[in-house]
Amino acid sequence: MNRRTFLKDAALGSLVFGAGARTGLFAGTAAAAPPDLAIIQGESPSAITKAAIETLGGMGRFVARGNIVVIKPNIGWDRTPEMAACTNPDVVRALVELSFAAGAKKVTVMDNTTNQAQRCYVRSGIQAAASAAGADVPFVNPRRIKSMPLGGTWLKDWDVIQDFVECDTLINVPIAKHHNLCRVTLGMKNWLGAIGDPRNRLHQRIEEASVDLAAFFKPKLTVLDAYRILVRNGPQGGRPSDTKLLKTVAAGADAAAVEAFGATLFDIAPADLPLLKFAVERKLGRIDLEKLVLEKRAI
Amino acid sequence: MKNARSKKYRRLQILRIVSQVFFLGLFFGLLFGTHFTGADYIGDVEVFFHFDPFLALVTALAARALTVVFAWSAATILVTLLFGRVVCGWVCPMGAIQQFFSWVFKKAKFLRPKKPASGGLWVKYAVLSFVLVAAIFGLNLAGYLDPLSFLTRTSAAGLLPALGRGLNGLIGAVYAVRLEGFGDTLSQALEKLTLNPIFQQGFFLGLVFLVFLVLNKWRERFFCRVLCPAGALLGLFSRFNLFKLKIDSAKCTKCGLCSIHCPTQAGPFPDDQWKSSECLYCETCAAICPTGAISFPARLKKEKLPAVDLSRRRMLVASFLAFFSVPFFRIGAARKRASEKLIRPPGALPEPDFLAKCVKCGECLKACPTNGLQPALSEAGPEGMWTPVLVPKIGYCEYYCSLCSQVCPTGAIKELSVPEKTTVKIGTAWIDKNRCIPYFLGRPCIVCEEHCPISPKAIKFVMVETKQADGTTATEKAPVIDLDLCIGCGICENKCPVADRPAIFVTSVGEQRSKDNQLLLKIGE
Repeated sequence: MNRRTFLKDAALGSLVFGAGARTGLFAGTAAAAPPDLAIIQGESPSAITKAAIETLGGMGRFVARGNIVVIKPNIGWDRTPEMAACTNPDVVRALVELSFAAGAKKVTVMDNTTNQAQRCYVRSGIQAAASAAGADVPFVNPRRIKSMPLGGTWLKDWDVIQDFVECDTLINVPIAKHHNLCRVTLGMKNWLGAIGDPRNRLHQRIEEASVDLAAFFKPKLTVLDAYRILVRNGPQGGRPSDTKLLKTVAAGADAAAVEAFGATLFDIAPADLPLLKFAVERKLGRIDLEKLVLEKRAI
Repeated sequence: MKNARSKKYRRLQILRIVSQVFFLGLFFGLLFGTHFTGADYIGDVEVFFHFDPFLALVTALAARALTVVFAWSAATILVTLLFGRVVCGWVCPMGAIQQFFSWVFKKAKFLRPKKPASGGLWVKYAVLSFVLVAAIFGLNLAGYLDPLSFLTRTSAAGLLPALGRGLNGLIGAVYAVRLEGFGDTLSQALEKLTLNPIFQQGFFLGLVFLVFLVLNKWRERFFCRVLCPAGALLGLFSRFNLFKLKIDSAKCTKCGLCSIHCPTQAGPFPDDQWKSSECLYCETCAAICPTGAISFPARLKKEKLPAVDLSRRRMLVASFLAFFSVPFFRIGAARKRASEKLIRPPGALPEPDFLAKCVKCGECLKACPTNGLQPALSEAGPEGMWTPVLVPKIGYCEYYCSLCSQVCPTGAIKELSVPEKTTVKIGTAWIDKNRCIPYFLGRPCIVCEEHCPISPKAIKFVMVETKQADGTTATEKAPVIDLDLCIGCGICENKCPVADRPAIFVTSVGEQRSKDNQLLLKIGE
């Protein structure tokens, strides 16, 4: 997509959503390039997600008409949304709606869960939310897992769930969480849910594995759900008191930049995370937040 | 000769088959629905059991306690008192399966009865006396031959896993012919059925079932006529029989077809020798009679009808055998000190009470979402064979799930709400530091800590220095267990990357149902 069609889509989008008139968003962004990161705060998880994508130039920048879109939330745990162990279902739903509005032919939402799949899909609220918006929410089909060369610096080959490969647009929607081994788990570790077992052996070099997987999957868009983040007892929590309500969503095309911003939510300097150092070495993106264009707003 | 078979009884026979198919469908419908279907609480999927007076009686005797839900079994007794063993003939799903395979064997000419069978009927009454006498001494053996327990257990741990594997193979064939979209749809449907695929005794349980089917080749409804103690109990209650067999002697040609083809040896001919306690009202005799001589008119008058020859000697021998065998069941070590592998499902009663109530039906095995509940072999001693035991290497206890406690028909597993269940300690996790990756190799891991579902976590980490093979020292995060918080769910063992013998494992010690199976002195705490 070139810049001209993008501007056209953006203008169209603003008409469709009426967002241009309400926020004055497109008056600013249509003239300049979209920001590297959109960080939106607000009461409604769905509204801030939609505003973040609009700020980045609209879903049309990532999804073309007739595309097959796969959205990868974290549905790893048998936990309800108030535990902040899985991605907020309304954030996922908003992305499904935006993808269809941008002309997606098919939207699939799935994850390779840790607890029993049906329990995770149901109790996270993601199955209901995504299917209500028209997405397919299949369980991982063992027959669609195939070993693939990953071309990583550490991970050379691994079993990959084919749904995450056979698509036009891959969107990563992790939730920001505490993790005792990696300090935090944000976007790149989320890719452990797109591969087959034995995933538990990847923990022996978890940062390198996550970066290798992120480099392999190369999502077009990363949307970090920080509506309710998990600050202790990660990565699954278990009490609402383990969580903190930030009512924020951060989105960007640069997975490393989103990850770097996520680290700051836990008062961690991005450069202190080994994972982000590997990510920069692999040229996956930038983590120098002070030099990036961040559009931060509350709605 | 003109065919003068009774249309009325032929229709009744078809109605009986419809009824059997209906109840068989209901039985398997409920069994297929016994898993997590999206809600925390499951309906009364175990409802069949509550109508089983045999289970009710044995469990009440063995546990010396009445279970309220078994009040339904009074309905079965009432029906049997009034109408005879219609429940065996028209309702019992196990009976339907036996009858179906008998029919198949007959159609295939494997089974060609030429004269009425004789003998053997007393065996099931002997089984019944054996089980009842054992129950008086607190030994619950009801489940091994009770038709509902037998069929549920066999299905949960043998037939349905095999079916799942078979369907999976078929789906493979669908993919092989490149119908991938269709294959995906089928595969999702199979996933939703949650047919637990792994059972450590599935092969054996399937084999026993197969033997019982094959016995039908020798005698029609072999299980029902010879072995079933629940049928025997109903036979004892079958005393009034409103509808009594009558042979019109003017029409009867004494061909003997009715007695040859009676699936339970009730001996319709001559009608004054008809064993009403064996008759299941399957209507076969009346439908098969070439002259339509047989009917079952309603007769209020109480008649003295010849029952099975239950010689006092045989029943006494069976009772004495039970009396003398009870101690043998308890010689084993299981009652001396708890077995480390005997991790019972959450809500399980203290072991002696549990054994007195568990009828080994396998409802819990079917309900378990992770496949972790397995039929025990020797872990619980001979009286505990096929009782449920959690094997964390196969599947762990899902933190927010209490399905096994909800589906238990006898209350051997006390029904728990989900919040109650999350507090129940069923065992304790231990770390084998000689195998644990951070301890032994000084490499990162703590997968167990990540998976521990408790908040705050029962697995903490400490920094540990490890001398490595090259002489250098590595410092790494290593797991430690907080004994007060660990509930023994076993997810740590299940997810441990050390595949063959996990470096973290759960044993039964510390289980809250037991006073003795503990390790710490807790006085005044």
